[in-house]
Formats: sequence, structure tokens, C-alpha cells
Amino acid sequence: MLVHDRLTRRSIQTVFLLVFLPLFALPLAVILAASLSTNWSGALPSGFTLEHYAAVLNGPTLDALRVSVVTAVIASVCALVAGTWAALSAHSLGPRGRRVMDALFMLPVAVPTVVVGLALLVAFSSPPVLLNGTQMIVFIAHTVLVTAFAYQSVSAALDRLDPVHAQVAASLGARPARTLFLVRLPLLLPSLSGAAGLCFALSMGELSATMMLYPPDWTPLPVRIFTATDRGALFTGSAFAVVLMATTLLVMFALSLVRTRAGHR
Amino acid sequence: MGIRLDGVSVSYGGTTVLDSLDLTVEPGEFTALLGPSGSGKTTALRSVAGFVRPDSGRVFLGGRDVTDLPPYSRGIGMVVQSYALFPHMRVDQNVAFGLRAQGVPRREVRTRVGEALELTGMAEYARRHPRELSGGQQQRVAISRALAVRPQVLLLDEPLSALDARLRSEMTTELARLHRDLPDLTVLHVTHDQGEALTLADRVALLERARLREYDTPRNLYDRPRTAFAAGFVGSANLLPGRLDRGSVRFCGLDVDAPDALPSGVADGDDLRVCLRPHRLTLGPSEHTVRGRVTDLSWRGSTHRVTADVDGHSFTAEVPGTAEIPDLGTTVELGFTRRDLVVVPAGEEP
Amino acid sequence: MTALAPHPAPRVPEPRRPAEGPPPPRRGLPAWVWAVPPVLALAAVVLYPLGAVVAESLTGPDGAATTAHYAEVLATERFRDALATTVFVAVCATAGCLVLGLGLALVIAFVPFPGSRAAGRLVDTYLSFPSFLITLALLFLYGTVGVANGIWTDVTGADTGPFDFMATPWGVILAEITFFTPFVLRPLLAAFTQLDTAQLEVASSLGARGGRIVRSVILPEAFPALVAGGALVLVLSLNEFAIVLFTGAKDVVTLPMLVYSAAILEADYTTACVVATVNAALSVCLYLLYRAATSRLRGPAGGPRKHGTQKDGTQKGGRRAGA
Repeated sequence: MLVHDRLTRRSIQTVFLLVFLPLFALPLAVILAASLSTNWSGALPSGFTLEHYAAVLNGPTLDALRVSVVTAVIASVCALVAGTWAALSAHSLGPRGRRVMDALFMLPVAVPTVVVGLALLVAFSSPPVLLNGTQMIVFIAHTVLVTAFAYQSVSAALDRLDPVHAQVAASLGARPARTLFLVRLPLLLPSLSGAAGLCFALSMGELSATMMLYPPDWTPLPVRIFTATDRGALFTGSAFAVVLMATTLLVMFALSLVRTRAGHR
Repeated sequence: MGIRLDGVSVSYGGTTVLDSLDLTVEPGEFTALLGPSGSGKTTALRSVAGFVRPDSGRVFLGGRDVTDLPPYSRGIGMVVQSYALFPHMRVDQNVAFGLRAQGVPRREVRTRVGEALELTGMAEYARRHPRELSGGQQQRVAISRALAVRPQVLLLDEPLSALDARLRSEMTTELARLHRDLPDLTVLHVTHDQGEALTLADRVALLERARLREYDTPRNLYDRPRTAFAAGFVGSANLLPGRLDRGSVRFCGLDVDAPDALPSGVADGDDLRVCLRPHRLTLGPSEHTVRGRVTDLSWRGSTHRVTADVDGHSFTAEVPGTAEIPDLGTTVELGFTRRDLVVVPAGEEP
Repeated sequence: MTALAPHPAPRVPEPRRPAEGPPPPRRGLPAWVWAVPPVLALAAVVLYPLGAVVAESLTGPDGAATTAHYAEVLATERFRDALATTVFVAVCATAGCLVLGLGLALVIAFVPFPGSRAAGRLVDTYLSFPSFLITLALLFLYGTVGVANGIWTDVTGADTGPFDFMATPWGVILAEITFFTPFVLRPLLAAFTQLDTAQLEVASSLGARGGRIVRSVILPEAFPALVAGGALVLVLSLNEFAIVLFTGAKDVVTLPMLVYSAAILEADYTTACVVATVNAALSVCLYLLYRAATSRLRGPAGGPRKHGTQKDGTQKGGRRAGA
């Protein structure tokens, strides 16, 4: 469209691939390949093995996966409820109230994640509320961090939502609650499931705040990956990472099916 | 500078959208590419502009083969349906765009921008942004922008279809005036609106299903269509099955002397279609008369449309609004003369 | 993988925001009452803890308010080095992301080829993975015993390879560019799809070549998306922790890293709170600037079409929150 000369187009595309593939395709391939190897010091990995994955199946790592999934599910559900509620109420406020709500709920995005972790640690290590060293504080941290996304996602969907459906429902005599549950929320369902997938993915990969907060009996998978690589077990770490990515993609794929079905209705 | 398309074929993924199109537009001529959607008219225009590369065939502008030239080297001006004004530029900057791209000296740019805006009556809006203008004004700016580069060929891609009815007729008049004022400018105008094509064009190329069906003056296309498709697509028509039988046309139980000008390829004994324009039919008997039951009436302000069922064939007559109108279900007589009759070969109808 | 895509808004006429019209008359509770529960929850788990951090940083051992901690911490070389490193890394990473993101987006959108859409989807997938995976992969590729050095020693016969930057700020910058480029790419692609391609065609029919079209038609229209993406990457890279942690480099200490080591490794909460307050203030200010800039850009000069773009840009912010 911009380039009409075939030679120029070819060379632009070649440069694109030369930049794009090493930068974006290679890292994923590398992790996958490394998770199946025992040794990698030349051009290609060597010593095909599945033993790193066997390590996943022994106690601590499987536990860590379970911890991550449980945490992510709890955080995503809480974030969706809180974010949707907040977005809906923000939309019924005037422009100024809306701006205040936006600022409040986007705050955890602007604040460094480590600081969010530190803040929870400082606040809940002393009375009146003592949560330090509990699983609860991990749930809270993850919820706080992903709620901002749920809020923003639902808010954007509300902006795009044509108010005419809700108006028709109201003209037919539906009260606001009925309109909300029978008209607006079903229309938002595709965005909600998209937001749920994203919240889940974010929580699964959360490391920064978790490093500040996790109690010994509640170690999520990213922390396991870090401890593995930190002591030099890069190949085992890669296998854990592949498990993490696969779980995330699987859940997001399932949620995207929900979304497709909701979208086709 | 004339335009010549020489056997231009274009296909996308196995679908032929333009099938070996031959078309010559004389310098200074206004040609409309008319056809239903999907007929290939826009593809034809885009291959002249250089956005579509023909699979085979050549495109010539002013005798020069431009098939392999990129759009920016072809010296054309183009106006599209969405106007495509650059939203971040003021009106004068939009108009200056092409001049600056072609390296016209700064001082000259200013005078030519002024001239181009003058041409469409938009000079006073030079400092505005496109979004501050109405649809009709935006389209005028788009035309100014295309004319500022003094193209030899102006391509109009459904430029009026985004406008409402009143603005559309206003802009049609405007385009007709521009064509009179710029006699050297060759114009290729894509439209699906036959009214636009008949009003504006010196010649109309009628496309259908990727092929050129007819290429003639609007007058001939309307009065003496040579295909059933043209008869039905350009203006409304009663198309009735008939047969040529020893110098006369038999249809609907009538036997009318064949018109003087028979289309080529129609021989004695052939099936054919009789085309009768609704406004040529009269209520009441005439040289030839058919009788039928009134099935539909519609009032259109200045005219009435009376539809009657004649031996299973539907006849529509357009009569003055002042005429005495029969009731639905009654029997009515519709009359016409031999001169009202146009005969076309049986074939595809729109 | 389109599952997580906050897709660019389809080009439909934007419905009027309900908030802009007069609120419909309603019986029962006023609208603001419904906003109270989520705001209270937010106050309990975000505002109160952040306040506690600031309070801690301003409280002396005797419980009285003091700025002595700031004077003390801000004067240390450790803090100053961390600040300088953080800003240096963030600025370099942002610049890299802008250049790379713009280039890639232009090719994907305007010089498409079979597979370019798949490339866009791969980038989407990236957004759903944690950032430290990039560092992990880069360690395999460019680490001291990594692939690049392995190939080098095989080819040249040397004992060690020349690639030894993973433990330097450059390793962090490379990882951040890789991971954050999608945050520039996405809003740009969204902005490009909203661009009327007829504009490009008209420009080219008027005699403009590719370079001029990019400069004077595409870039001005995509500018808000570029600014939004760039500002966001700046904030995100100021805040990035996991990438730095995974490089394992002792000499690359950024502000978030300093917060972590002070609080967790040294149990020095006061210092951690001071650094955290400074870091958060820096990021929040930049973030506010970014929001002000994008809302202004979409105001007078942008027109309604910028709407979706800007929104898409900020969505990345939320997207990034937990990684």
C-alpha cells in the first residue's frame, strides 16, 4: 500500500523478519527447547530429556502450580466483581466523579508493583489488622493489582456499549436492576470474559509484589521459577515456565470460547 | 490526456472481478462507470489509479503505458466517497499536500491552493479543519485538493454517495459546471446511481459481473439500449418476452411492426425482449393497446405509477399526477405507439 | 492468541456516553451511593497501605514527624546510583520500544505479507506472559555460557565469547525493550486500523511517496497513540522489578530493586518506605502527565477517532499491573 516497488517491499519485509523473529519468536522457542534439554552451550541444545518435567510432578512444584492457580482464580473473581461494580457506578456519575473514580482505580497501575507489596506489608504487619505471613495478604495483593485492569476493561466496554438497549429495556418497564442483570451485563459478557482471562494471566505471572509478601506455605509458581534459576537451575526453571505458560494459555483459551459463544448469540 | 484500458483483467483469490476490460476515454471526456455493486467498476478505476495491478492487460494514460508505474507517478487526481481529507491538516494544507509532494515552489503553492479553492467556492474556509465542515463542504475540499495538482485525469470514486439527496443533486450540478469550466480534464466517475451517470457523463460504460456490457452516450443507452440488462438497469423499463416474426414483433398478444433499428444479432424467429419505458405508456387506448387489471398504485408527487397485470405480465405506466387514476382491481387500458418500442435480445436482466 | 486481546474498537459510530447526557430521573438511591462500597474497599487495601508507607517514611524513632529519613537516604550514594540507573534504563528502554514498535507496526499495517497477522498475534500472546520469562530466555541466548557465546567460541576457537552484558544495565534494557515493545505496538496498530486507507491512496495519487505519506499523513494521526505508548512504557520500565531480579546482576540496582533489598533482605523498613515513596511519586507524576497528555491529544486536535486509540493505550497500563 505504501511501497509499490517489489524489491523495496521485499527488503523491508526481510528486515522486519530479521528484527522480529530473534526478538519475539526466539525467546519463547528458547525456553521451550531448554526445558527439554540437559545442556546448551553451542548453537543447539543437546541431551533431550523429560526429567525437568518430571521435576514438576514432584511435590513442591506441583504445589506451587496449585497455589498459583488458586490465587489467580480468587484474585480474578474478586477483581471482576469489584472492577465491574466500580466501573458501572463510575459510569452513572457525572464526568467529574468519573474522573475521580478513574484516577483511584488506576492508581495501582501507576504505583510500582513492589511498592504495592511493601505497602500491604507495612500496613498489615501492625494492628488493627494483622495479615503478615498469611495467604490472605497474597490474595489481596493480587486482587489489588488486577482490579485496575478489570475496571479499565469494563469501563472501556461500557463506553462502547450502545445505551439504546438499556433505554429500550427501560421503555418496556424494566427497573434498573432488571436492566442491569438481563440486558447490560449479558451485553458486557464478551468483555468480561476477556477481562477474566487477562486477570488470570496477570495473576499467574505476578512476581514483584509476591516476592515481598508470600508466606513459606504459599509459594506461587513464579517464585519457584525464580528460586530455581537463582540457584543456577536454568533448565528446570524453563520447564516450570513452560508449565506456567501452558496453564495460562489453556485457561485463556477456555475463556475465549465462552467469549466467542457469548459474542455469537 | 485520454485513458485507455487494454484487456485489463483482475482477480482476487480465484474470483474474477474484472474480465478483460477494453475501454477508451477520449481527452476531455467525462465517462461514468456505472453498474451494480460487485460489477468491477471500482476495480477498473483503481487499476487506472494504480492501486490495483492488473493480472493481464495494460493501462495507458495519454498514450503512455503506466501499468508498471506507482500511483504517485501517474499524474492523476482522485476523489473518494469518504472524502479522505487529512484530519490533522487545515483545508489549505490539505489542498497544498499534492503540490508540496510534487515539489512545487512555496510561493506558487499558495496561489494554486487559492485557485483550487476558488474553483469549488471554498476559499473562505481555507483556515478551517475538515471536521468543522459539512459533508458537502468536505467533498468540495476533496475536489479542490485533487484539482490543485492540475491532473490530466480526474478519478471520482462514488464521490456523492455519502451525501444526502439534496446535497447530492447540488454537487451533481457543481460537477457538471466543473466539467464545462475545465474542458481539457478527462474524468472517470464510478457510480451506482444512474441519475448521476445520465446527468454528468458524456459517455457511460455499463459494467455487470466483471464485464463491460455497453459503452455509449447516456442518450443512446436510455433510448436505444442494446441489451436487456442495459434496458432494465438504466431507467426503469417494462421488459416483456416477445418474438421477431417476419418483420413484426409479437408480444402479449400484440403484433407490432418491428422498429426500424433492430439490434445486431436478432434474426427472424428469435426470442427477444420488448422494452417499454413506463413514462411512454398512456392510460387509455392508443395506436396499440393492452388491457389489464390494476394491481398496484403509487403516488409520487408529480406522477402516478399504475401497475397492471396483462396476461400474467406486469406493466407499469407512469402518468402525470393530474391524470384520472383507476381504482385497484379495475380493468385499465394502456396505450403506446410503435415508436415507443425498443427491442433487445433476450439475455440477462438486472 | 486472541484470547486476551483488548481488541481495537471496531469502527462504528461511537455511541454517546451516557454520562454526558443529563442523568435520567431515577427513584431510590442517588448514583454516588453505589460508588461507595468499591471506593471503601479500595481505601482499605490501597489507599490505607500507601498512606502507611508515607507515614512510616515520615516518622522518627520517637514517633514524631520528621523528614530526617529523607535527608539521610537521599544523600546516600546507593540511592543516587539507583535513581540514575533507573532513569537511564527507563529512558533507553522507552526510546528503543518507540523506534522498534513504530517500525514493526508500520510494516505489519502497511507492508503486509503472509504471516504478518500471525506476527501481530504472537505479540498479543506476549502480553499474557510474565516479564521475567524474557530475561530467562535472554540468559540462555546471551548469558556468559549462552548460545551466542557458544557459537562464537565454536567458530573462532576462543575460550570465551564477547557477549557479557546480561549483568549490566544493557541486559536489562534489552529485556525491557523486548517485553515492552508490544505496549507501543498495540496502540499503534489500533490507530493504524482506524486510519482511512483512502487517505493513503489519495496521498499517493497526489504524488506523495511512502516516506512522505508516513511523515505527513500516518504519523500525525498516530501521534497520540505513539505518545500514549511511549509514556506508558516509561512508567512501566521505571517500575519494573521482575526483569531486573532475574538478571541476577549485583550492579544493576534500580529503585524497585532497592525497595526490595531494603525491606526483605535487610529488614530496613524505613529506608524501604522512603525509596518507595520517591519511586511511587515519580511514577504517579509521570502517569498523571501521560493521562493529561492523552486526554488533551484526543481533545481538540484529535477528533473522535482518537478515542479508541487512547483507550487502547491505557488498557496496556492495566494489563501490566501485576506482572
